Amino acid sequence: MYNNWMRRQRLLGYVFIGPSMLGVLVFFLIPAVYSFGLMFTNYKFMNPSIEFVGVDNIVRMLHDDLFYLSLRNTVVFLLAVPVSIALGFVVAVILNQKIYLKKLLRGLYFMPYITSGVAVAFVWMLLFQPKQGPINGFLRSVGIEHPPGWLSTTTSSMYAIDIIWVWFLLGYNMIIYLAALQEVSGELLEAAKIDGARPTQILRKIIWPLVSPTTFLLLITGLIMTIKTFGIIQATTQGGPGNSTTILSLYVYQNAFRYYDMGYAATISWALFAIILLITLLQWLGQKRWVHY
Amino acid sequence: MELKRRLTTGAAGRLLVTVIMLALAIVMIIPFLWMISTSLKTPAEVFKYPIEWIPSHPTWAHHHKVWTGPKSFGTYYLNSLKISIIGMVGATFLSAFAAYGFARIEFKGRNALFMIYLSMMMVPPQVLFVPKFIMFEWAGIYNTHLALILPGLFTIFGVFMLRQFFLSIPHEISESAFLDGAGHFRIFFRLVLPLAKPALATLAIIDFSWQWNDYENALVFLIDEKLYTVPLGLQNFILENTVDYNGMMAAASAGILPMIAVFVIGQRFIIQGLTNSAVKG
Repeated sequence: MYNNWMRRQRLLGYVFIGPSMLGVLVFFLIPAVYSFGLMFTNYKFMNPSIEFVGVDNIVRMLHDDLFYLSLRNTVVFLLAVPVSIALGFVVAVILNQKIYLKKLLRGLYFMPYITSGVAVAFVWMLLFQPKQGPINGFLRSVGIEHPPGWLSTTTSSMYAIDIIWVWFLLGYNMIIYLAALQEVSGELLEAAKIDGARPTQILRKIIWPLVSPTTFLLLITGLIMTIKTFGIIQATTQGGPGNSTTILSLYVYQNAFRYYDMGYAATISWALFAIILLITLLQWLGQKRWVHY
Repeated sequence: MELKRRLTTGAAGRLLVTVIMLALAIVMIIPFLWMISTSLKTPAEVFKYPIEWIPSHPTWAHHHKVWTGPKSFGTYYLNSLKISIIGMVGATFLSAFAAYGFARIEFKGRNALFMIYLSMMMVPPQVLFVPKFIMFEWAGIYNTHLALILPGLFTIFGVFMLRQFFLSIPHEISESAFLDGAGHFRIFFRLVLPLAKPALATLAIIDFSWQWNDYENALVFLIDEKLYTVPLGLQNFILENTVDYNGMMAAASAGILPMIAVFVIGQRFIIQGLTNSAVKG
């Protein structure tokens, strides 16, 4: 009797996970398989003739200059991740000292991360305005006669996007570092101090290695999250000027919903997946090698 | 931790570091301050330098323009609230349900299913856009709110986060309930859910902010202006008023202020939840 009841209770596991598994099946797994199939077709929206074209899309992608440009832009975009991690670490270390207004400061640094969607992109667009915007106004007032054109020139636009992204991610990295710093044993630091270690030594030789698992986690999750984003770019530059801010994820969107070239869009999206897979594999391999527990 | 002992031991040192960090924090929130300030200015004052942070002739005209007229933000707000609230409630509950199954019931294939489930986090939304577009067309929900609400009910991150939390609840609690004859449903609703209130609140707030700020899905799946959410409405406003910078900032304020309110109220929960799922995961 009791055993029977226990067995039935165990089967309830499937009932509990059922709805979510169904959701993943319908909104992730099936579309993913579908998308994989589309990669080998010439499917275009509104065009009834759909043909199997083998690896044509992949060949086309490998000869597509815009694909390589967007790959390059993606790499520049990803640079924002380590920069924001470094800054987040510095802010966390300082906020972890004995200072006043700790909670307020933590909140202020964290605010961009939680409040900002596309709305903030429009604010940055005006802040970056090259001729009259407040940022260049400030730069001119401190004696820089030819401040950068930010979002408006092909050479600076991707870096301007990076600045917005660093600003956005910094608070998140700081919060996670603050939690990690709580776990660093105070006794260890005290002992180091008694042995005459200088603050910079403590920081470099003790704290930084101890929080390396966190650094690694932030790097991987930050890279993956960043590579999936395109809203901020679509809102500010739509990939311009002259494709200088077209990153891979945006290039997929443009092919699918501007040119309705859906087979090709699916192909590029799998290149995106391949990069994420690569990052994840590096995570598995790297965790043992670079992280000091 | 006292890294810079000389600086931080004395109250003066503490004060100095506080002031520096506060100054930098204000730099961080300048975009918000500038947005609000500009939304209350006259067009001639927008790019005046040095910046006049408190407008000398404040006007509500731009906010008025955003909230009234044929393309009022009222509609976008209602749409966004509807989608975000249904999504938030549904996703939080369904995540808790699944997380309980993954964390506290031992059934066959559990770990394999959980790995498959988690691995879906690697699939970028771009892979899914085209097939979802085709599927939604076919199912007749393309260009309806359901195209955002239904997928919004499922969050892999949410299940992951709550599972971490449920794992930390001592097993003795459910074992003694078991001996009293309570089944998993009773334990879930009567014991675990009440214990998990803070974690549920965290997930609900984070999920709400995601859904409220979701621009990319709305961009792909909605075309009717009547159905627009706040991010799309904002984009539309800006495309149609390319030189009305004050209006743009009033519209941006309309999009951001609710999130600032949510943040101020729920900050404690958000920070707790994010750090739990990241550090202990």
